[in-house]
Amino acid sequence: MPEVKHMDELARRLREDAATIDADISAQLDSRIQASLAAIEPELARQRKPARRPVSFWLASSLTGMAVALAVIAVLNVNDVDEPAAVTRTVAENRVPPPEIPALDLDVEAAMLTGPLTRELEDLQADLKRAEEVVRGDVRIDF
Amino acid sequence: MSDELQLIDAAKRGSVEAFTGLVHGYRERLFRFLLTRCTNHADAEDALQDTLINAYRYIGSYDPRWRFSTWLYRIAIRNAGRLRTENLAELGDPEDDGADPLAHCIADSERDNLWRTAKRILSDEVFAAMWLRYVEDMSVRDIADVLERSSSWTKVNLLRGRRALEAEMNGKAGNAGSEAYG
Repeated sequence: MPEVKHMDELARRLREDAATIDADISAQLDSRIQASLAAIEPELARQRKPARRPVSFWLASSLTGMAVALAVIAVLNVNDVDEPAAVTRTVAENRVPPPEIPALDLDVEAAMLTGPLTRELEDLQADLKRAEEVVRGDVRIDF
Repeated sequence: MSDELQLIDAAKRGSVEAFTGLVHGYRERLFRFLLTRCTNHADAEDALQDTLINAYRYIGSYDPRWRFSTWLYRIAIRNAGRLRTENLAELGDPEDDGADPLAHCIADSERDNLWRTAKRILSDEVFAAMWLRYVEDMSVRDIADVLERSSSWTKVNLLRGRRALEAEMNGKAGNAGSEAYG
């Protein structure tokens, strides 16, 4: 084996030896690669491609948008009219009746005051004195 | 604007023809490189196909400040690595059964092919750095970008790779060879 003395000689041999490696691409591999490439699309190209829409698409979109806007306006207006009645109904329906209190059968007589309280007290004391004299007379006991 | 940039621009807009023209000059070079990276010929073919598909699919993300070949080789190395990992997981080490694609693709010669020697004594990354330097004529900066390594690492390992190969060729394959696995 010849001795390599210079780096250029090594580089030359490395190039030459690389060239001896058979790297022919077979027709089968070539067609396989072409078919694979045709089946895919570059990522950014796919993203950048503008979507082509027919005129009828834009017309239909506009009409749909207008219809939706009108429907929303109509629904909001209808809700505005009905809202107070609905609230009133709700309040009326939610009112709770008061509990029934059973009636008491009371025999009430009005107090008939004949005089002021001091006069009433003197009468009671006089009644008491008379009752005491009756008892003394009956048992003859001196207190 | 150069022809290559025009083709890239057209490919970004979805032209398969432009992309085919763009990579036409790279296909054989890529395939030769992948034959050295993959464990068998079929895997190298799959890796080439995956590389071109991925390059076309994601060409929108290509930054023109890079060399196109640098970007392409980076994708190729990732695909080859992925296929090798999948094979190792499914089949074990396929190199044990003598399926080395280089053995079948190298023309008979009076002497050993240096790249077979390189594959035997260098690590995968150092081998790739040597290939990109001496076959693809890439700069140290571009090689570092492809391998996702620093320029310092690339310089050191190119030097180690050269020394290891020289030592092997000059019959001093003892100590220098182990340096390349840095």
